[in-house]
Amino acid sequence: MKGREKGETLLGRRRGGDRVASGLAVAALSLLAGFISLPMIALVLWTANENAWRAMATPEARDALMLSIKTTSVSMVIIVLVGTPAAYVLARAEFPGKRAVDSLIDIPAVLPPSAAGIALLLTFGRFGMVGQYLDVFGVAVSFTTSAVVIAEVFVASHFYVRQAAVGFAQVRRDVEEAAMVDGASQYSVFGRVTVPLTLPALVAGAVMAWARALGEFGGTIIFAGSFRGVTQTIPLAIFSARESNFDAAVALSVMVLAFAFTVILVARLLLRKAAQFRDD
Amino acid sequence: MTIPAVVVMLTGCGVAAEEGRGGGEERSTLTVLAASSLTDAFGELEKTFEEQHPDADVRQSFESSSTLLAQIQQGAPADVFASAAEDEMDAAVDDGLVAGEPEVFVKNREVVMVPKDNPANIQRMQDLAEPGVRLVLAEDGVPAADYALQILGKANSEYGSGFKKEVLSNVVSRESDVRASVGRVALGDADATFGYASDFTPDVRDRVCVIQVPEDLNVVATYPIAALEDAQDPELAREWVHLVLSEEGQRVLDEWGFEPAA
Repeated sequence: MKGREKGETLLGRRRGGDRVASGLAVAALSLLAGFISLPMIALVLWTANENAWRAMATPEARDALMLSIKTTSVSMVIIVLVGTPAAYVLARAEFPGKRAVDSLIDIPAVLPPSAAGIALLLTFGRFGMVGQYLDVFGVAVSFTTSAVVIAEVFVASHFYVRQAAVGFAQVRRDVEEAAMVDGASQYSVFGRVTVPLTLPALVAGAVMAWARALGEFGGTIIFAGSFRGVTQTIPLAIFSARESNFDAAVALSVMVLAFAFTVILVARLLLRKAAQFRDD
Repeated sequence: MTIPAVVVMLTGCGVAAEEGRGGGEERSTLTVLAASSLTDAFGELEKTFEEQHPDADVRQSFESSSTLLAQIQQGAPADVFASAAEDEMDAAVDDGLVAGEPEVFVKNREVVMVPKDNPANIQRMQDLAEPGVRLVLAEDGVPAADYALQILGKANSEYGSGFKKEVLSNVVSRESDVRASVGRVALGDADATFGYASDFTPDVRDRVCVIQVPEDLNVVATYPIAALEDAQDPELAREWVHLVLSEEGQRVLDEWGFEPAA
């Protein structure tokens, strides 16, 4: 609130040219907001059609939603467990090759997902670099739910690790050192001081990573295949339904929109609660 | 829709279309939507057509017939539709999207395809029911998969009533079209798939083996072709259909493993 009042008084003092510029900026924002909301409105309007509601209740839709919940949950557990310490090292330690590792983490974010799918297939597919040895032990990765999780972790981990590393870098060392002087071990400083201070960044990163995992399509369809209840997540179910049952495709899209919206809302709410708790 | 129009306007200036057919047409685009199994054969015919019509630019899109039908129904600009099954063409006719009568131009047979080293040791179609075989099929509604399901249904009478069910319990993935499912086998990731005899192309020949479906159980796939009602250049669309039905067209299709039917 305070920021906005200050901004308005500043605006008031500006000359005509500035006013035109800010008018243009506001117009640009409205344009962008309209552009993004129109397709959302189109999706929601379609649900006025009762076929769409019926399509949401089909076993196919339910299977896809359950599979998406299951795979993204497992992916997030892996990403947070591995990504948190990894991000801490990236933010705090100096070691040879750090820049290379740092850039490597970013690659999945700039790689088109279909290229990621091909790369995963060449690695974990039955004749892949790693897959051929797994196959000897009777372990087949492609066409399994594990393959979906692998694809999701591959494309989404970047978003969490990057945010977490930025968060860790912002925690002041002297705060941690003060706790250590008070006799806390390194582990408990990390758990009781560093992580709580970084929490907003961690949650924001986790939400981004989760959203990316939920939307994973190219890597999954190429590497994991598409089969109801096993590898057909919501994005794949939408793709598969788009011609045979368009209502179902719309229903699934609305479902995933509502689901994503809920998760983001809950994450924001929790963050605010956590901030209040800390301030008290 | 506006982009081709602009292109026509730009290239239309100063281009004297004497060598065209009859009146002075500008260079026009012919959009052909064809079943993915036709990829290679129609690709070759595209060159022939463009040689015969230097003023025409052929653009083709190869996907499952069901996907193409949906695109046509949703108003995608297209001049010709070549389907791998009568059902999709009939639906297009029923919706008033087809100009004139569709004509059957080739037939095709289903085969079972396995990777060259045949990891699941599939020798006959019956072996597809063995537990642990990793079978891929095209998606529901894709003609190649529909034909495969018909074959499995017929096979129940010969191999026992649970045969189809056992085979279907081995399906590990449903692919967007028949070429995608053959690709899974060529890559060696899947143990088997159903494809068309014509999908045994030079591209996959050294990576894939074909196992014939017993004659009495097989289903003959018939491919109809038609010019579309909303064709931008109906004349050119008719000429494409004409080429496919001609001796030259049939020869090319025969070379690519189809059974001529015109």
